[in-house]
Parts: sequence; C-alpha cells; structure tokens
Amino acid sequence: MIALFYEDHSVGQLSQIGSHRFTREAILDFARAWDPQPFHLDDAAAAASLFGRLCASGWHTASVCMRLMIDHRAAHRAAAAAHGEALPPLGVGAGIRDLRWLSPVYPEDVIAYSIEIVSMRETRKPQWGLIGIHARGAVEGGRDVLSYFSQALVARRMG
Amino acid sequence: MERLYFEDFSPGAIAEYGATDVTAEAIVDFARQFDPQPFHLDEEAARETMTGGLIASGWHTAAMLMRMNCDGFLGATAAQGSPGVEELDWKKPVRPGDRLSVRRTVLGARASSSRPAIGVVEFLFEVLNQERETVMTQKGVIFIRRRAAEGGEA
Repeated sequence: MIALFYEDHSVGQLSQIGSHRFTREAILDFARAWDPQPFHLDDAAAAASLFGRLCASGWHTASVCMRLMIDHRAAHRAAAAAHGEALPPLGVGAGIRDLRWLSPVYPEDVIAYSIEIVSMRETRKPQWGLIGIHARGAVEGGRDVLSYFSQALVARRMG
Repeated sequence: MERLYFEDFSPGAIAEYGATDVTAEAIVDFARQFDPQPFHLDEEAARETMTGGLIASGWHTAAMLMRMNCDGFLGATAAQGSPGVEELDWKKPVRPGDRLSVRRTVLGARASSSRPAIGVVEFLFEVLNQERETVMTQKGVIFIRRRAAEGGEA
C-alpha cells in the first residue's frame, strides 16, 4: 500500500514497490519446499518442458511481490511514526483474481514490481475500507511475468 | 510411478489427498521470508490485531496447497505448468495446530488450440482443515500432456 489510511489513497495511483533478483539457489530452495516439479528443479527436465529451461515457481514470483508490498508499506509506516503519527491497525487480504504467470522467471532475472490502486469502497464496518489493487511484475525493461488483482482492508481515518 | 495424462482427468471427478500439519514455527518461517506482518510473525503481537492470534500468510496456504498437489498427483502427472489462477479466496484463518487437506474437482478439460500435444485442465481446489471447514479455494488451469503425444503410447 502507498499510504497509511484508506482516505489517503486514490484510484489510479501507481507505485513502484521494488525489484528482486531471483537467484538460482533461491529458485531451487522455494521449489524444494513448495513446488517440486521437475522444471523448477532440474535443468535437463526443464529443457524438455514447455518452459525450455529451469524457472521459478509462480508462487515464488507472487510471494516475493507480497514481501515487497509489505516492505514498501513498512517504510511508509516507519516514516509516519517518526513524525509522531499514530499508526492505524493493519488489515488483511480477502482474495485474488486473475493471477497470471505471463512468462517464466529464469535464474538471475531481476523483476520490478508495481501496484496500482484500481478501486476503493467503504465497507459495512466504519473502521475499514476496501482497496482493490493491480499488482504487476516485469523483467526490468522487458517482458511481463506476473499480474493479479487483489483486495485488502485498509483502516479508515476515524473522526 | 504410473504417469497420468490429460485423458485421465474427467470433468466432475473428485479426489481427496494431503495431510499438512501447520505449526507456529512453519507459519513464522514463511512469514519472515515473504509476508512479515505481526499477525503472521508473533503470537503475542497477533493477539492485538484483527486476527486475534497467529495465522498463516494466505500465500503460505497457497504454497502448502501447491505442495499437497505435487505430492498428491502432480508428481505422477505429465504436467507442464499453469498460466494462472482465476480465483483464490481465503475463507477462514489457518492457525497453528490445523491439519490441512485438499479436495480437488475437475471442472473442465479441453485441447489446447495452439499446442496439439497439450491439454488444458481446469481444477477447483478446496483446502480443508481438520473440522472439514474450507479455509481456501483456488480455481485455475494446469497444462497436461496428452497421452497420444507422449512417445507414441496408445
């Protein structure tokens, strides 16, 4: 998220939230733990697959996006706290739509992630607003690798 | 291990598998790497949040589903990855002590228009806890090789 409170967001806001280099070692570690399919673990098997060569699990690509979002927001919260602002409670996500792995992430690819605010609405609970975001990842200066839409509860500025 | 191909996934077929025990340690480990928020990191801090206690990152639950799918059938399937997931919904919190399993439903199966050797199978995965409550649902497709296309097998 870009800002602390629901009211501080606006539809159309676009933020670059950071870049991440996918090392071969991290790709293998994630795949061994969560997605041990041959094309994430073994060069020869990957060469014979649709991917052509070893590539990251799509869940790895998406989980890194989450991490960068949290770090991005944490930096804003820390800056606000340093100015003596009271920090709002954190909301949780409700779900994901249209999660697309648009092309493979290969070892040493550097993926730049961005989020755009695409919707905002109030909820029945006066303390929470619902913000829709479009998250994207792309090889720096190149092909898109990840796209999804999600919604998260964000605290409203109360009176 | 017997190989499963596109032809082995019939629309309407339901299968159940998996038994993942969720520990506080595993929740915190995943969260430290990918989702460092208080309600995923620390039981005491989590009690002060809207979740009322430590819960797994939704991406951790998605990763646990992926692992159960690999162990439950993809490891024996001529699978070729996935272009994406249409819907992923977190229905209930996953907490330490939960035991998760999967109910898989084949929603549809069709030939790939661009790749004759590949079929496209649409699945609904429901992740259940030990009370048989649905904690997460995921709907998406997986590319699976067609039997006739693999080494001339019948």
